[in-house]
Amino acid sequence: MIELTSVSKYYSSGFLCRKRAYVVNDVSLAIRKGETLGLAGESGSGKSTLARMMIRLVEPSAGRIVFDGIDLLALKKPALRQLRPRMQIVFQDPDTSLDPRLTIGASVAEPLVVWQKAGRHERDDRVIELFGMVGLQPELADRRPFELSGGQKQRAALARAIALEPEFLVLDEPTAALDLSVQAQILSLVQVLQKRMNLTLLFISHDLQLIGRMSDSMAVLHEGRLVESGKTDAILRRPSDPYTIRLLEAARESEEWFGKDK
Amino acid sequence: MTRNILLRVSVAILFLYFAVALLAPFIAPYGATAIVGAPLQPPDSEHLLGTNNVGQDIFSQLVYGSQVTLIFGFCSALLSVSISTCAGIVLGYYGGSVDEVVCRVLDVLMPIPIFPLLIVLTTFFNPGVVQVSIVMGVLGSIHGIRLIRAPALSLAETPFIEGAKSIGASDLRIMSRHILPNLMPIVTVKFVTASQHFLVMGVGLSFIGLWDTMTVDWGSMIQNAYSGGALSLGLWWWILPPGLAVVGISLALALAGYSLEESFNPRLEVNRI
Repeated sequence: MIELTSVSKYYSSGFLCRKRAYVVNDVSLAIRKGETLGLAGESGSGKSTLARMMIRLVEPSAGRIVFDGIDLLALKKPALRQLRPRMQIVFQDPDTSLDPRLTIGASVAEPLVVWQKAGRHERDDRVIELFGMVGLQPELADRRPFELSGGQKQRAALARAIALEPEFLVLDEPTAALDLSVQAQILSLVQVLQKRMNLTLLFISHDLQLIGRMSDSMAVLHEGRLVESGKTDAILRRPSDPYTIRLLEAARESEEWFGKDK
Repeated sequence: MTRNILLRVSVAILFLYFAVALLAPFIAPYGATAIVGAPLQPPDSEHLLGTNNVGQDIFSQLVYGSQVTLIFGFCSALLSVSISTCAGIVLGYYGGSVDEVVCRVLDVLMPIPIFPLLIVLTTFFNPGVVQVSIVMGVLGSIHGIRLIRAPALSLAETPFIEGAKSIGASDLRIMSRHILPNLMPIVTVKFVTASQHFLVMGVGLSFIGLWDTMTVDWGSMIQNAYSGGALSLGLWWWILPPGLAVVGISLALALAGYSLEESFNPRLEVNRI
C-alpha cells in the first residue's frame, strides 16, 4: 500500500546551509494493504515527522514514497489534492485538532463540503451516520470543541478522518492525551473501523504495549534512524537492537513500578 | 468600571456619533457653509452653539463635519486593516522566501513616520480627502501586517490547519474559513485602535490645512477658530465644540479598543490597572 525508500528530512543551517540537522534519516519501510504498522520511539525521535511525510503534509528532503503504485513526491499540487481523500490523519492532541470556531458537526462535515460529496440534507445524514460510527451522540453536532471531553473530541477527529472513506489512516499517538479508560475505548473503536473499512493503519506510539496490541508489524525509530523493523511479535519477544532492548526494559520497569503501586 | 460596562458605554457613544453623521441633514438646522446669522454670536436658542466669524452656524458645522471626520477615520482604518489582514495571513500561511523578503522590506518601512510623510505627499500632490484616506490606509497597514502575520504563522502550524490540508481543502479555503475567523479578535481590536489613530491624524492633517480647505470637518473648524483668535478673544463656543467632539470619539474608540482587547485576551487585565 505504501512504501518508503531512503526517506530523510533535514533542516539546513550555517554558512551556505552546509550544516544539516536530520529529523528523519534514511528510513525505508513498507505497509501492506489492510495491515497496521506500529511506529515506536521516544519523544523527538522523528515519528510524527515521518508520519506527516508519508501523507506529504511535510515535504521530505530526500527519498521516495510510493502510495498504491503512485510516486507521491512526483505529484504536483492539484494531483496531490485529488489523492488526499485516500489518506488521512488523526492527531495527538484533541484540543488542537479541531477548529475551535467551528461546531463539531461542521468540522466533521467539512471534508464532505470540500469534495462536494452530497447535497446539504444528505451531508447532514452522513454526519449523523459518521457520529454513530464513532459512538458520538448526534446532539453534540452543534457544540464547539471546548464543550467536549478529550475522548469525545478524539472521536470527532476520527469521524472527520474517515468521512472521505480513506484507505490509509495515520494515527499519531491518538490516545496519548487521554486517560486510560478512554484510551481503551478509542483503540477498540479504531480496530472496529479498521475491519469495517479495510483500513491500512500507521499507529504511532511510545507505548510498546499498545503497539503490541494494535499492530501486525512494527518499526522502531531512534534519533531519526530506523533501528529495527519486522513482525511485532518477533521484535517484542526477541529485540535485536540495543535501543529496542532498552525501550522494552524501560516499559517493563514502569509496568513493575505501577504493579507495586497496585 | 468593569470591562463590560466600559465596552457598552464606548459602543453607545460611537453609535451616537454615527447616528449624528448619518442623520446630519435632519439634525442640522442650517447648511454647513450657509451664512445664517451675525458673526461671532454666542449660543442662543436660534444658534445652539453660536456662530463663527462669517456667521455660519457652529452646531450645523459640527453635525456635518462629523461625516467627513468619521468617514476619513473609518475608511482609512478599514483599508489599512484589510490590507494588513490579507497580507499578514498570506505571508504567515505560505512563509518561505517571499515572507522573508517582505518582512525585511517591512523592517525598513516601519520606522518611517506616517504623519510627516503624509505632510510631504499632500504638499506635492494636493490631494482630496479620499486620496489622503487611501494613502493613509496603505501606509498605516505596514505595522498591521507584522501584527497579523505573527499569529497567522503560528496558526498555520496548528494540527487543525494540517488537518484541513490533509482533507484536501484549498489554500484559499484554509485561509478564509480557518485562519481568518480565528484571527478576528485581533483584527477587530486592530480596526478599532486604527480608527482612533487615523481619525485623530485626519483631524491633524485638516488642522494644518492639507486638504481642500472648503471641506467642513472638525479639523478645519478648529483651525478656523484658532486662526480667527477664538482662544485669545475667549470665544469658547467656536473652538470647544469640535475639540470636545474629537476628544469624545477618540476616547470612546480607545476605550472600546482596550475593552475588546481585554475581553479577547483576559491575561492583559492583570497587567493593566
